[in-house]
Amino acid sequence: MKLILSTSNVLAAGSSLHRPSKSKSNAELISSLRTNFEAHYTVAANGHDANGTSEPTKPSYKTWTRQRDDGLEVPALDFESGGLQEEREQYDITLKLFYLPGASSADRETQTREAVDLVLRELHMPSVDLLIVSFPGIYFDEEEDCPDKLSTRGPVEAEPELIDTQISTWKVLESLHDQGLVKKLGIAEFGHDRLQTFLEKTTVRPSVDQINLRDCCSVPKALMALAKSRNVELLVHNDCSNVLPRGTVRELLGSGPQGAGVLAVASRAGDKRKGLHGEERTNGVAEAGLGGEVQPQWVVKYTAVVKNRGVVESKGYFAVAELSR
Amino acid sequence: MGLLAVGTPLEWPEAKKVAGHVREWGIEQLLAIWRRAKGKERDALLWGDEIEYLVVAFDDQKREVKLSLRQADILEALAGDSELLRQGGGVPDLQRGRNRPGKTAPTFHPEFGRFMLEATPGAPWGIDLKDLLDVEQDMKWRRQIAKEHMYDSEYPITMTTFPLLGDKKSLTPYFPPSGEKLRSQFVPDEIANPHIRFPTLAANIRARRGRKVELNVPVFIDENTARPWMDPTVDFNMHNWPEDDDVRNGAAKDDHIYMDAMAFGMGSCCLQITFQAKNMEEGRTMYDQLSPLGPILLALTAATPVYKGFLADTDVRWNQISAAVDDRTAEELGEKPLKNDRWRIPKSRYASNSTYISQDCRLKPEYLDPDLIVDEKVKARLLEDGMDERLATHFAHLFIRDPIVVFNEDLQQLDLTKVDHFENLQSTNWQHMRFKPPPPGNDTGWRVEVRPMEIQITDFENAAFSVFVVLITRAILSFDLNFYLPIPRTTENMETAHRRDAVLNDKFYFRKETLPKRQTRMNGTSNVSSAANTPQPSRPASPVGAVEDEYELMTVDEIINGKADESFLGLIPLVESYLDTINVDVETRCEIAQYLALIRGRANGTLWTAAKWIRHYVRGHEQYKKDSVVTNDMAYDLVKAVERMTIHEGRDGFAKEMLGECRQRE
Repeated sequence: MKLILSTSNVLAAGSSLHRPSKSKSNAELISSLRTNFEAHYTVAANGHDANGTSEPTKPSYKTWTRQRDDGLEVPALDFESGGLQEEREQYDITLKLFYLPGASSADRETQTREAVDLVLRELHMPSVDLLIVSFPGIYFDEEEDCPDKLSTRGPVEAEPELIDTQISTWKVLESLHDQGLVKKLGIAEFGHDRLQTFLEKTTVRPSVDQINLRDCCSVPKALMALAKSRNVELLVHNDCSNVLPRGTVRELLGSGPQGAGVLAVASRAGDKRKGLHGEERTNGVAEAGLGGEVQPQWVVKYTAVVKNRGVVESKGYFAVAELSR
Repeated sequence: MGLLAVGTPLEWPEAKKVAGHVREWGIEQLLAIWRRAKGKERDALLWGDEIEYLVVAFDDQKREVKLSLRQADILEALAGDSELLRQGGGVPDLQRGRNRPGKTAPTFHPEFGRFMLEATPGAPWGIDLKDLLDVEQDMKWRRQIAKEHMYDSEYPITMTTFPLLGDKKSLTPYFPPSGEKLRSQFVPDEIANPHIRFPTLAANIRARRGRKVELNVPVFIDENTARPWMDPTVDFNMHNWPEDDDVRNGAAKDDHIYMDAMAFGMGSCCLQITFQAKNMEEGRTMYDQLSPLGPILLALTAATPVYKGFLADTDVRWNQISAAVDDRTAEELGEKPLKNDRWRIPKSRYASNSTYISQDCRLKPEYLDPDLIVDEKVKARLLEDGMDERLATHFAHLFIRDPIVVFNEDLQQLDLTKVDHFENLQSTNWQHMRFKPPPPGNDTGWRVEVRPMEIQITDFENAAFSVFVVLITRAILSFDLNFYLPIPRTTENMETAHRRDAVLNDKFYFRKETLPKRQTRMNGTSNVSSAANTPQPSRPASPVGAVEDEYELMTVDEIINGKADESFLGLIPLVESYLDTINVDVETRCEIAQYLALIRGRANGTLWTAAKWIRHYVRGHEQYKKDSVVTNDMAYDLVKAVERMTIHEGRDGFAKEMLGECRQRE
């Protein structure tokens, strides 16, 4: 079964803002998922308990999520609200799709189409301007020492996949481009060699290579020269590549005090990841959640900026995890 | 400051008689603009900066520096530069030939002081982030062009004030003080731009006030400074004008540097930024939200520790300008019972602003200024034509003032396609924020001007602060930030910003919770963005807690860089969050990182303000006798040092206490 997690527009919730230089770079995703879950089960709880008993028990996840086809929407998706206010051409819409480590690269076509489709429905828009994909396990390397860099990168959890795998994934993106759903394509964390190979072997070439610089500002000259000569724009980002580790998903959805009560307590004895706040997960008392093994598949971040004003109007995330029973 | 109409200006008693007339017509012109432009929508972000320069003349042989009064000649040379005109630049007030559309070269403007120049970009900036990289280059270009139209011995510097202004000698060409218009002991009438508007402004402010303007800046008490310290340059025996009695009546205070003319304030250079808003409401939001940031920006840019050849015990120019154009009468000041005047007025025409104007539901009545003076007749007229209460109150507050310069020719017929009478009042209310309606005759939208910052010595710093303010506005609008603070607290903060090293040692009132709270979704139907289109309740739905609990005293470091415990995020982290949200190319991000590093350093004390640097330089000068006196020799070395910083921007290792080392890496 598939779990579709969403944040809705995080700009409405100030809690998603963190100090970029000090927080983990997926803090926004995690805290805005949590905030959105809380907002939904709190409403559900109030609705069910009008007499207001003081015990803040979480309502069953069934009251605020929605089962649809083979997936569970957490929370129930609502595409009615949240659409952009102005015409399409007023916006610069960027998607960044993170293919997560541990997910099968064979499913990327379905994953990519689903991610783009969810965002288009959320924003009420027919297309986006830029789709950047982040492949698991690759890190762009700066030339000079940059002590901040490694500490914000997070643990390396996956080996980089073969470039041929990335190129076959790219074909999916090219078809989205050909259909007019995406105007420009981009990749993240590509160094010079990988970018060069990619440029040679792709039809619709990447227009953007997004790299994580922090404050170091030391782009390797070879990469800079290649990017300039091939019209690849080097953009800056501040994301780690595994934005949604498995343990974090269990923590968010689990039955512990911080969890949303969607997942039951892990059955596997070996699965004893530490929670976000360091404590071992405790047995929840709430109604039993879903059992099984959770495996995050992908995350998509979307941003809509009003072009000639530089104002961000909408920003949010969708994430999909597979729950195998 | 554009030179609008030319004609016959009325002297004060006559101008006073027609004040009501000008106000009435000004209000009709305002209503005409408002009716025409209130529905104006979807304007792009365009913005511009204004840099003001002092023109100094060095005599390296004699080790002297003087203010050059050649503004008119320099502007004349700029206006006649065909190459500049070909590139769309020039001097708009001295039109020569045709300007090309799509212009790019900068434009130059006269200012109040005859030793000043103002330069603006030839075309406004947009929000394309690459534009932000052009700002500094354009500022450098402006300075270079200005320099090319001066004598070799002259240089355009960006100090807020000339350290020897008013020493009765450091002017070239030389003119004696005590002229008819200014009646100053210290500066000649020729210090002001000769355009009739400026001397009339100065003379009528003095006449309305009933005496000369009075600036008393506390002197910096050093080891050998006499106590009480009496400003040795004050002449108690001058008898040229009735106003010469002012000093005999106690105008010059003990332990204060005394100044007596508009030139001491309006001769200061500022860094001002103007933004175009999407529509009127967004402009009103920006006006409100930027207002509490004003004193913080002032403290961060502090650059004014010397007046008239003495070290001052304050760091910024603001109150001096305020006093330099303070036209309030003794009755309005509360020194005499009200008899002829209509009200007591708490603030000068040049002061921190006193209104909030947004229709924002987060704006609580408790934030408004309880001492606000409003012309009820003006307000009633605005309300009658449908203007809302808040905006009507704002303009009815600005219109408590008298027009100072009135041209006889303009009183014949009311022209509703013009804005001269409206601007007469609007542009002589010099508050720290200005809300600017669209001008007639072009497609410009509603704008907001940010006015508190002091000019910085280098273009690097001026670009840094300009870009920072632009990015803050984008963060405010994107994240729906809330900086509301009761207006009297902002007024107090403005005073605090004057204190020596306030940026390091003092605390400012600031709102604790600036991020929006997530709105509770009811059945998933709440639509946050559509709320903007529905009428807002005049009071917030859930007033939680007392207004006094919404803010606290914070250091500038906390406000800019955030609190260690992250209970307050800080303005720079907010800007960085914004930058992390949008697509920024490597080059731009790295350039902006340098700018933010400068501001971060100023706030946390690792980098000095110009005020601290100059004070330190003076006190460390070999001729300094620890007696607060800045001699001609010291001033020469100081201004030379400033010139050096302007050219090298710290790349030569000089003044790195102030500029940091980021430029040295290049």
